[in-house]
Amino acid sequence: MNHTPAPKAALHAPQQSHNSKTTASGVKQWFKKQGYRFAPWLFFISLLILWESICRLGHVPTYILPSPSSIINAFFNVSFSRWMVHLWATLRVALLGFIVSILISIPLSIALIRSELLNRTIYPVLVVIQSTPVVAVAPLIIVLMGTGDASRVLITCLITFFPLVVSTTTGMLETPQELIELSQSLRAPRYRETWQIRIPYAIPHIFSGLRVSITLAIIGAVVAEFVAAEQGLGYFIQFSTSFFKIPQAFAGLVFLSAISLLLFKSVHWIQAWLFPWSLPKKK
Amino acid sequence: MLNFVRSSIIAIAIGSCTAAMAADHVTFQLDWLPGGDKAPVYVGIQEGFFRAENLDVKVATGRGSTDAITKIATGQADIGMADIGALMAAKAQDDVPVSAVAAYFTQAPHAFFVLSNSGIHNIKDLAGKKVATSPFTSSNAFLPLVLKQNGLSDKDITLIKADPGALGPMLMTGNTQAIIAWVTNTALYKAQAAQAGKTITVLPWSEGGLSLYSSSIIASDRFLSERPEVAKRFIKAFEKAVVYTYAHPEKAGEDLHDIVPEVDPKIAAAQIHSIYDLVYNKISQSDGFGVLTAKRLTTTWQYVAKANDLSPDSLNPEKIVNKAFMPTPN
Repeated sequence: MNHTPAPKAALHAPQQSHNSKTTASGVKQWFKKQGYRFAPWLFFISLLILWESICRLGHVPTYILPSPSSIINAFFNVSFSRWMVHLWATLRVALLGFIVSILISIPLSIALIRSELLNRTIYPVLVVIQSTPVVAVAPLIIVLMGTGDASRVLITCLITFFPLVVSTTTGMLETPQELIELSQSLRAPRYRETWQIRIPYAIPHIFSGLRVSITLAIIGAVVAEFVAAEQGLGYFIQFSTSFFKIPQAFAGLVFLSAISLLLFKSVHWIQAWLFPWSLPKKK
Repeated sequence: MLNFVRSSIIAIAIGSCTAAMAADHVTFQLDWLPGGDKAPVYVGIQEGFFRAENLDVKVATGRGSTDAITKIATGQADIGMADIGALMAAKAQDDVPVSAVAAYFTQAPHAFFVLSNSGIHNIKDLAGKKVATSPFTSSNAFLPLVLKQNGLSDKDITLIKADPGALGPMLMTGNTQAIIAWVTNTALYKAQAAQAGKTITVLPWSEGGLSLYSSSIIASDRFLSERPEVAKRFIKAFEKAVVYTYAHPEKAGEDLHDIVPEVDPKIAAAQIHSIYDLVYNKISQSDGFGVLTAKRLTTTWQYVAKANDLSPDSLNPEKIVNKAFMPTPN
């Protein structure tokens, strides 16, 4: 056997080519990864640039469509303390309404699951409440309950509770029948069946409901502020519009959306923290 | 023991003194959001007119005259500001426990706003033109009356309805030849027109023949009967605040801004300047500030009844006023 040693260059050439190929594909992979990571931001920034260009090049007056830069200016023209006053007023009502909603919805769902009679009696009423436009009822609630936080919390509750009731009830009904039968055969008390079988099965559904409700809570607080309030982001937007300060109204709107997004994410974080097993597995 | 009794007596005495010195709480209901036309109540707080009368005044914002009347009727506020026409319409249909106590605008604030280069110089020139209004303004009810007084009818104009915030832009962009709004917004529309490099002309309906009472001070009957002295002190202080507001619009704008930081003091001052004629005019000069006369109340009611399609006999307009609290005529 003639073992002629291969020239070093010949030996290294394919290796080098392989390495450079690997590096090239690594770089490509890196760009792809970063592109995937930053795509939403790039898209968002491109949209802002397009919006700004349309406003500037088209000389669009701010009262028709304010440019992003004029909205940012308007945002900083309002003092930090005033933003905090309005933010706290809205957040207080939204969170209180949301918490009251949870306290009502979950026990109500348990009651609806347990009693067919209650289900037949109360469920239609809940549907009627949900079908009634809260915007139309809000002025009546203010008249009945006064202009304090209580009426605003009730308005928020009316908007937020229904998705929670529906999702909790659906979640509890989706518990595998064999588990229920097993617990019954072991003579487990009803409360254990609810807390240890039905509720854990309903957790993903409950959190889906919570995610919908938290954004509705902000909408509820704003609706209430449109009817009667002296503070709050909804009041601020209405006030700015009444003075034709459109960029300022947009700034309030953007702030409100940001808060809504943050609350939405917070529900996700709470779920990941308390019930990580209930989250869908990542691909 | 003696020491205990002595200190108890001193404590009770201090407590009673504090109670005697505590200011009377009054909630004032606005019929809309804070602005130049609502400045007097804020001026009264900032300049100490209410404090001098031992009053602690809280201001609640409103969302229209009907909203203000409802909140006063249901006891959420003691006294406030609303269109007297809305109170007349409410009283004609239901026994609302609210009474008018003083006039504020003795002329109606309704007006047409047009671009200065539109060729429209008076209400008659609106024939064949497109006019935009907001869906829920009380002006809409009076529109047929002011058109009739100027020899026109509903059919002579094309009326379109849009959100109040859209009216200004519609006028500036030529989507409509005229808009209906209150003269209280003159400064805001002028600023908007300046941004578009245009100027606007205001055609007040009061100059087009529609002469009637408008924004007035109204109070709950319960407040007037249970705390009459407080009500009298409030009205006295409010009157001083109105005088101060219109004598010092810039300072009034700053007073308003101090309580409601979102209000631009310059815009508020400009608003006060632009509505001076609604408060101080021939009517207020001849009858006295705040006075609601039987004759003008009757005229106002005739307009309101026609505008709202109510029977003229359904209300005695004089009955809606509690004269015991009205400022005294000159």
